[in-house]
Amino acid sequence: MKVGFPHCGSAYIPAKAIARELAGGAELIVPPSNSKRSLSLGVKYAPEGLCIPFKLTLGNLIEVCELGADTIIHAGGAGICRLGHYAKTQEWILRDMGFDFQMLYFELSKRKLRDMMSLIKVASGGASWLRILLALRFGLVKLGVVDDLERMVHKIRPRELHKGTATGIYRQAVDAIDMAGSHAELKKIKADYVDRLRQIPLDPNADPLLVRIIGEIYVVLEPFANMDVEVELGKLGVEVRRHNYLSQWAKFSFFLNNIGVDENRKIHKAAMPYLKHDVGGDGWESVGEKVLCNDEYDGMVHLAPFTCMPETVAMNIMASTRENLPVLTILCDEQMGKAGMITRLEAFVDLLERKRRVSRKSEKLARV
Amino acid sequence: MRVGFPGALLYYQYYPLCKTFFELLGAEVVTTPPTNREMVTAGSSMMVAETCLPVKVFMGHTIYLSDKCDYMFVPAVRCVEKGVYNCSKFLGLPDMTRAVVPECPPILELDVDVEKGKGNLYRGIYKLGSRLTHNPFKVKRAAEEAWRVHHQYVDYMCEWGQTPLEVMDEMFGGNGHRQVDKVEKFLSGDSIALIGHPYLLYDAYVSNRVILRLRKMGIRVATPEMVREVDLHSGTVAVDGGAYWSYGRDLVGAGGYYLRSDVDGVIGVMAFCCGPDSLMMDTVRRYAVRLKKPFMQLIVDEHTADAGLITRLEAFVDMIHRNKRR
Repeated sequence: MKVGFPHCGSAYIPAKAIARELAGGAELIVPPSNSKRSLSLGVKYAPEGLCIPFKLTLGNLIEVCELGADTIIHAGGAGICRLGHYAKTQEWILRDMGFDFQMLYFELSKRKLRDMMSLIKVASGGASWLRILLALRFGLVKLGVVDDLERMVHKIRPRELHKGTATGIYRQAVDAIDMAGSHAELKKIKADYVDRLRQIPLDPNADPLLVRIIGEIYVVLEPFANMDVEVELGKLGVEVRRHNYLSQWAKFSFFLNNIGVDENRKIHKAAMPYLKHDVGGDGWESVGEKVLCNDEYDGMVHLAPFTCMPETVAMNIMASTRENLPVLTILCDEQMGKAGMITRLEAFVDLLERKRRVSRKSEKLARV
Repeated sequence: MRVGFPGALLYYQYYPLCKTFFELLGAEVVTTPPTNREMVTAGSSMMVAETCLPVKVFMGHTIYLSDKCDYMFVPAVRCVEKGVYNCSKFLGLPDMTRAVVPECPPILELDVDVEKGKGNLYRGIYKLGSRLTHNPFKVKRAAEEAWRVHHQYVDYMCEWGQTPLEVMDEMFGGNGHRQVDKVEKFLSGDSIALIGHPYLLYDAYVSNRVILRLRKMGIRVATPEMVREVDLHSGTVAVDGGAYWSYGRDLVGAGGYYLRSDVDGVIGVMAFCCGPDSLMMDTVRRYAVRLKKPFMQLIVDEHTADAGLITRLEAFVDMIHRNKRR
């Protein structure tokens, strides 16, 4: 059995780890990393009105099928957003293209841990539950390390003296983590790269703006879809933070949500005056985060795929909240160009800097 | 007491229900004239550009009504069937209205969500009614009567093969309601099914009077409202294996029914940027290709112009004629 799956951020790292731990079962086919080719394949075969997550994942699946995958794992199930129907539609499109495969659905709506484990059991040809759980744990630990390093890099990027050093080290780290074969090795790699990141010379006078990244989880997590917006903001001297990390999502939806811990409770409560219900996807969270981040942050970058339903609702509501935090909405689709996005980011950062200068001046005056 | 019910989105499905309910509770129900350019401009100027046309039209109607009523009734239809949800824009409609139309009078909300149980819905209806009366029996009676009228309305459309506007015209005697474009003669024996949401098909501005245009060409037009509930359901199952969206049957169910019936062609109407339809239209198209039935997809937005639409309709009708002659 050759198992393929679509990309979603760094999800390929735990997938590879699990496949290696359970060697002897299925062969895992990792799709080539997102490229112009995967996007244009997706655009060619997808209905035009669909969002970029659909088009990119379809591109991934086509590439995986070309590499000979006979089984595809995809997220599906009834949700509130269109996403729940994507696996089904993509299956039809791929069958129309003449590929022959078996589709395994990963239900996003409920019982995620159990579903994920039984999926792995099928794909691994009936490994024992204990081995599956251990492999899944190893995969998630790897993911956690990747995200920890990413958080560090977000802090370093705007402050480093030579732009691009941290990003370079982070990329090497991701590859090293991907290769790691045991918990001990992983620990050593983490310590090693944390050390290297700490040694990057920083600018002592740096005074970076603080910007929150919010929006639809796929485009936030997938650098190809958002055109490396975090790296570009870092280059402009902006520290970014975000709520959505894949390891965070996995931690809560596999384990903590089952025992009644909801990571978003605070955010939902903050959104209440403006939006009282879940509207699917991450729309509710976007509105809530705008309210929550008002005092601490200088601005927000809101990422959404073009035609995304929940985020369109969020955009309409966010425009008129009492919290007057500047928000730059970047719509991601296949027509987007990097130069245009950078110009918009530069203008946004200029505005934020001016706003901060003015408010600091008035604070100073008030003190005198 | 005047309760406003904007004449867009849910109007075509629930106006008789809502009118009966509020009038029995002693309120006057105010609605809007047909969509016009001013409303669309007003609505779109208040909203983010990516929002779909029907929602912009809805906000246009709301703005128009704002100074003409004491309360605005904006229900949030979340889930009318277990495990089947609605588009985000319907879920967040009351909140979005409050954010987009600041001058809007207090909004009467009703959460329709059967997943939370019937009790929750009944409490919601009572809470809605209690804004107008303190007598719970009066609310109960009004709700029951409204429900009866709603069923009657749905049955009429189905039995008479008429559009919502025509049936509303009959039911309420045409006073204060929208004018109905009546074409008496059906010259040719051709029939075309129009599938899509009622707020697209029957809004003359949004759909560019597509029903009237087809009728003037001498074609009998069939719409989703003329199909029985059972057939809509079996149509949905045939095309998609089961319902995914609350109002998916307007497109999928009706598509599944009409593509297998003896109509000569099917035209699917959707709004640009519509989330559910962009997915479902492709599903229906795939089904039409499999059945080798003439199918055309029309996408409408603010910029839809007559000329382009007419050309496409004429071409489609010509194609059907030729298909029949062979």
